[in-house]
Amino acid sequence: MEKILAEAQLNMNRRHFFGRTASGLGIGALAHLLGQDLSAQENQAVGGLPGLPHFAAKAKRVIYLFQSGGPSHLDLFDYKPGVAKVSGTDLPESVRGGQRLTTMTSMQASFPVVPSLFKFAQHGQSGAWLSELLPNTARVADNLCFIKSLYTDQINHDPAVTFAQTGFQLAGRPSLGSWISYGLGTENKDLPAFVVMISVGSSDQPLYDRLWGAGFLPSRYQGVKLRSVGDPVLYISDPDGFDREQRRRFIDDLDKLNQIGLEKYSDPEIGTRIAQYEMAFRMQTSVPELTDLSKEPASTFELYGEDAKKPGTFAGNCLMARRLAERGVRFIQLYHRGWDHHSNLPALLPVQAKLVDQASAGLIEDLKQRGLLDDTLVIWGGEFGRTVYCQGKLTPTDYGRDHHGRCFTMWMAGAGIKPGMSYGETDDYGYNIAKNPVHIHDVNATILNQLGIDHTRLTYKYQGRNFRLTDVHGEVVKGIVS
Amino acid sequence: MQMARRFEIGLGFSLLLAASLGAQEAIPQTIQFNRDIRPILSENCFTCHGPDKSHRTTVFHFDIEESAKQDLGKGHYAIFPGDLEKSALIQRITAPDERRRMPPAATGKKLSEHQIALLSAWIKQGAPWEKHWSFEPPKRPEVPKVADSARVRNPIDNFIVHRLEQEGLKLSPEADRATLLRRLTLDLTGKGPTTAEMDRFLADKSPDAYEKLADRLMQSPHYGERMALPWLDAARYADTSGYQQDHERFMWRWRDWVIDAFNKNMPFDKFTIEQLAGDLLPNPTLDQKIATAFNRNHRTNAEGGIVAEEFAAEYVVDRVATTSSVFLGVTLGCARCHDHKYDPFTQKEFYQLFAYFNNVPELGHSRRGNSNPHIQAPTPEQQAELKKYDDQIASASARFTKLRPALNASESAWLKSIANAPAMQWAPSRGLVAHYALDGNLGGEPAPNGKPLPESKWEGSGQFSNGLMGQAASFDGKSHIVLGDVGDFDYMNKFTLSAWIFPTAGTGAIVSRFQGEPQGKGYTLQLKDSKVEAIFAFRVPDHALRVETDKPIELNQWHHVMASYSGSPEARNLTVYVDGVPQTVKVIMDILTESVSIKAPLRIGGGGGPENQFHGLIDDVRIYNTELNAEEAGILSVSKSLNELAKVSPGQRSAAESNKVRSAFLDSSSVPAEIRSAFGQVSKLREQRANYDEGISTLMVMEEMPTPRETHVLLRGAYDAPGEVVTPGVPAILPPIPADFPKNRLGFAKWLVDPSNPLTARVAVNRFWQMFFGTGIVKTVDDFGSQGESPSHPELLDWLATEFVRTGWNVKEMQKTILTSATYRQASEATPEMVQKDPENRLLAHGARYRLPAETLRDQALSMAGLLVEKLGGPSVKPYQPEGLWTDLTQQGQYVQEHGENLYRRSLYTFWKRTIPPPSMANFDAPSRESCTVQRGFTNSPLQALDLMNDVSYLEAARVLAERMMKEGGATAEQRIAFAFRLATGRLPSAGESRVLAESLHYSLVKFQTRPNSAIKYLKVGEHPRDQKIDAQELAAYTTIASLIINLDETVTKE
Repeated sequence: MEKILAEAQLNMNRRHFFGRTASGLGIGALAHLLGQDLSAQENQAVGGLPGLPHFAAKAKRVIYLFQSGGPSHLDLFDYKPGVAKVSGTDLPESVRGGQRLTTMTSMQASFPVVPSLFKFAQHGQSGAWLSELLPNTARVADNLCFIKSLYTDQINHDPAVTFAQTGFQLAGRPSLGSWISYGLGTENKDLPAFVVMISVGSSDQPLYDRLWGAGFLPSRYQGVKLRSVGDPVLYISDPDGFDREQRRRFIDDLDKLNQIGLEKYSDPEIGTRIAQYEMAFRMQTSVPELTDLSKEPASTFELYGEDAKKPGTFAGNCLMARRLAERGVRFIQLYHRGWDHHSNLPALLPVQAKLVDQASAGLIEDLKQRGLLDDTLVIWGGEFGRTVYCQGKLTPTDYGRDHHGRCFTMWMAGAGIKPGMSYGETDDYGYNIAKNPVHIHDVNATILNQLGIDHTRLTYKYQGRNFRLTDVHGEVVKGIVS
Repeated sequence: MQMARRFEIGLGFSLLLAASLGAQEAIPQTIQFNRDIRPILSENCFTCHGPDKSHRTTVFHFDIEESAKQDLGKGHYAIFPGDLEKSALIQRITAPDERRRMPPAATGKKLSEHQIALLSAWIKQGAPWEKHWSFEPPKRPEVPKVADSARVRNPIDNFIVHRLEQEGLKLSPEADRATLLRRLTLDLTGKGPTTAEMDRFLADKSPDAYEKLADRLMQSPHYGERMALPWLDAARYADTSGYQQDHERFMWRWRDWVIDAFNKNMPFDKFTIEQLAGDLLPNPTLDQKIATAFNRNHRTNAEGGIVAEEFAAEYVVDRVATTSSVFLGVTLGCARCHDHKYDPFTQKEFYQLFAYFNNVPELGHSRRGNSNPHIQAPTPEQQAELKKYDDQIASASARFTKLRPALNASESAWLKSIANAPAMQWAPSRGLVAHYALDGNLGGEPAPNGKPLPESKWEGSGQFSNGLMGQAASFDGKSHIVLGDVGDFDYMNKFTLSAWIFPTAGTGAIVSRFQGEPQGKGYTLQLKDSKVEAIFAFRVPDHALRVETDKPIELNQWHHVMASYSGSPEARNLTVYVDGVPQTVKVIMDILTESVSIKAPLRIGGGGGPENQFHGLIDDVRIYNTELNAEEAGILSVSKSLNELAKVSPGQRSAAESNKVRSAFLDSSSVPAEIRSAFGQVSKLREQRANYDEGISTLMVMEEMPTPRETHVLLRGAYDAPGEVVTPGVPAILPPIPADFPKNRLGFAKWLVDPSNPLTARVAVNRFWQMFFGTGIVKTVDDFGSQGESPSHPELLDWLATEFVRTGWNVKEMQKTILTSATYRQASEATPEMVQKDPENRLLAHGARYRLPAETLRDQALSMAGLLVEKLGGPSVKPYQPEGLWTDLTQQGQYVQEHGENLYRRSLYTFWKRTIPPPSMANFDAPSRESCTVQRGFTNSPLQALDLMNDVSYLEAARVLAERMMKEGGATAEQRIAFAFRLATGRLPSAGESRVLAESLHYSLVKFQTRPNSAIKYLKVGEHPRDQKIDAQELAAYTTIASLIINLDETVTKE
């Protein structure tokens, strides 16, 4: 035990990790907490697996702007002028290819194709085609890489979102962020490695804790939700009438008592617990500092939009994502809902696009100005796209679109992703992939790749099998990485 | 990392021993295939040279001895016993040329020097083979002799001490009695002992005091609650369905069955059979049917647009995976898509097991609430209450029947008196919302004492003409009547729509509240191709209840049409009547899980678009917010007035006419008082019984279809890729099912607990062991296959397994054997030497020490405060939870926190929403219950610290505990501190501990005194009233100390 403690002490000194717990007890603690052997090689990061990253990383962190519900690639990104000429005609059977549809439209008598009502134009030096609904995205288009040939196996929200975020359609697998914090650990000692934010008021399809859950990985790798109502992190606020000095004293006294226990039981777990209370204390300081926007200059809000002043809006969360990125948080997961336009798309989509366009672009510009885009990977996309044929009644001013997993668009930016390009193509209907298909597993393999992880080698043994995020699939999309 | 873990799993003990001797790479004298070799082959070779034939790259494979040692021709052998040169295995794993070396570099696997040495030594020793240990039946081992026999209390200790002695270790001393009491009480009842229990046990000086304690605790009703906890994890029990909107379902009757079964000490074989196949037992009791909910606890999907077949297959897969994990301890799920890579299970065998569970009459698209098949599952109290109602109704009916002659006489007299009066009608008024007579105006008559109805108007040019009862509204297919916001029924409401129609065309809406085509929403009663159609839709094509009558109705004559609905979203609960007769219907769509409520107005003669307007006459429309019954439908279908009926002799009246007369009379003021009262009594009791009956929970259970569904191998596991047809059966590696067993789930269940089954008893005792020691004898409790860890004490495991079967699968007896062993009773203090030698304490040289489960942590805190409500069973409850957690994630359903005693129930009754589990449970490693979990982690995180410090549950418990300290704890601060400390840890604080706490108290008191308002604020936590007589500042200071004690490592840990 003494040896363990001595090592722990050494470790601690090396990392200057525990500012306050001068006693040095419990110290096996942090390393233990972060899943690192005491003897493990020294990483810059704390925690994480030895030997990781597998190779030089382009990205130090990820911001994933998940657009839940299935944004219409046909009305936002994937310009299909040819569809206008055949508007209202039935989608040819040769294009449909008899693949499965959701039962929402599989019983429709006909499948009239419907062009986008929105104007498209080319933008930037790269000449990216974008819909008029995304004027700000258009402004930063030269920084983005559009993957237009993404596809997924799933056609309904729950399995499709679960698939995109965990690599498997059923509950139980670790999420992307938890794999990454398991593999790479954290670079911030006062904040969780994996933070999740959800736009308030964004409606329709539900989300589920499993999307940022740790699955079969130890639960400490699960995402921690940063909330805009109530406590920003659950239970982080001390009770009313109890000040910081009291909390400090409380933890000091608790430490003393637990140290007595540690001497008695020689159980390293007690040391870990002491360290956890220290971390909790530091989180209580760092989280309010994180969420305090009072020092943000006016220019910030010009960039992200006035909405960013309102906690929990998509814009507010984008700004928070940048603040988290600055503080070295490894994986920042945003969710924005409201893209599920089965009907009334022409009226609803512009409103929805406006909610995210400026802040998405603002985030890119802000990261770039601060030099953070070089090592921050930003991802924008949802669980699937939408059908070129109309769901429900087609009128000159109204249409709806059903779920479509056979092709859709996502963009990535920063951290070694080639800027100003489009990758992959769909057919004239935007219904099938014509060139360079990219599967969800490929995206996830690429995300890991940018972080310096070989997706086939980040594994965890569970129920007798080595599992990985990409199951037995996935290829890094070489065409988009520099 | 991979290597490190493999050592840990495969070579745990030899390595441990080696490490302690300072020789990292020691090779055991006698290599044991299962312990030393199989794990290496399994991990590194089986992927290509293992059980999965589709991935084999060579004729030989290492999972079977004959194959591994076969002559490959030209004198080549993969393994040649005794000869390293001739064994290609050794040549290839040591090949200097990377391209020849195994395993191939591309696999990312690499053998260590030590593993190569082990394989070489094994071949030199003749490469002896063993069948994988867990597939061999357990043999009753001889109990080993030990040197230190004084410590032995039962055979468990012989095995443990024998192993320790091999390592030069011995058992630690017995824990002190206070610790033992707390440990055992936590393990058996899920909370700590009370002060009185402590005093009682410490005062009991009899030599068998501890055994008596174990008996007493096992008799506590809370024993069943404690044992249920891991079983609920294993059975993926929850209060919601788990996908997408994750709606509430009602399975708690099964949860209570589990608690009861443990409390009754139901033998484990019976426990198994009833849960897997209770419905198939001869004349199954309600309880036996309830037990089968075990295999309906899996998640079910109600998302719009899903392909039902896909999820129907998932449910069966889940049953197979769960059943095999829980009872067999094997990971059969792997064989869903291909032959198992590591264990001898083929894909076909997976689907043979699948076939047992594939005959449930269920839909892949589930409902809100409980899906089919489900039963009403009254609790014993409810059964008694129903019986009481039935008895009361029987005697009230008898009283009423006796009055029949008098009733007939007075009814005749009344009829005579009205025969020549002006026309009188009568219709049921129960639940009436609105009545539109349509006698030349659109005005509606609201329910008696009901709200005035909104104004109605014609849409299009409407008119009236002669109707069946006075005038009727006339429709030309271009107009309809708009009634406004009336009849806003949703899919969980009962309702009835009634109208007279004289259709001149076969299509058109009669009464509707409906909008949007073709994906319409709302409800409508309409004609379509002369058939009566009732639609209740969230979205017509896929999310609706839709039925249409088999028989068309005749046009150009009057018909009474009615639709009634029970408020439970299934097509079978939507009844269509024509002319008072319930119709047989075709169910067009039977899925409805979303709200159908819309803003569109109620309409007569229209709704659902211009094409869908009525042609002909409509008269006398009635809207009810209750489900009228067949008798009432009959009455409504009688158009004759009471006066006309009075002229018909009683014998000539139809049943419906007689009912109309009788109901009208009983409703009139002419009824003699005695009859009125007797009839009123019967009606009242019937209504009360019906209301009571509605409150009885249902439960999803297993049920067998009369004709089994055909089961296919699903290629790559995909629902839409059926392969060959398979029949039910069990894997060939395990003993065959005895021929006289039924060829269904019941036979399978009996086979599981047949003494010939090598796995079930081992798996069960191993999980008991895990419950009491934190780690199983086989650490991988859900994987007894070749990738799992070998048992730390194989002979002990077999002794326990055979003992379990020998004693008739007696759970309490088995557990008592474990809990009274000297091994269990050891102190949990370790020495640095022990920690270094055996960091995981797998040899058990000291007592186990680990953090309490989430539920126990909360229950213990509530118990210390005296807040815990120890009521058994019932619907799940909603205690404190941070606000808005559900609304963050879903628009549907809010967490409505309850009050009063439901804030303080045992945690296993906390409402469990799978997609958003209670955070204070999830923080402490409770699984989400989305799938079977037989092992929880013991992580240690800052979120746990924040939870224990700031969660209202724990703060309130601290506040109320502080009151107890001040009221019951004694007069001095030291005594009060000792009181709480003892409640938390079972022992008194040491002088050092006491001093820290006393100083802390002093600090807190000064702090609160200098900031007067802060104490009041601080104490405003939780809903339990504060004792206003106690000084706030002092109470606040004690609350801080109580919170400190609740946060103490020793408090959250089982010592």
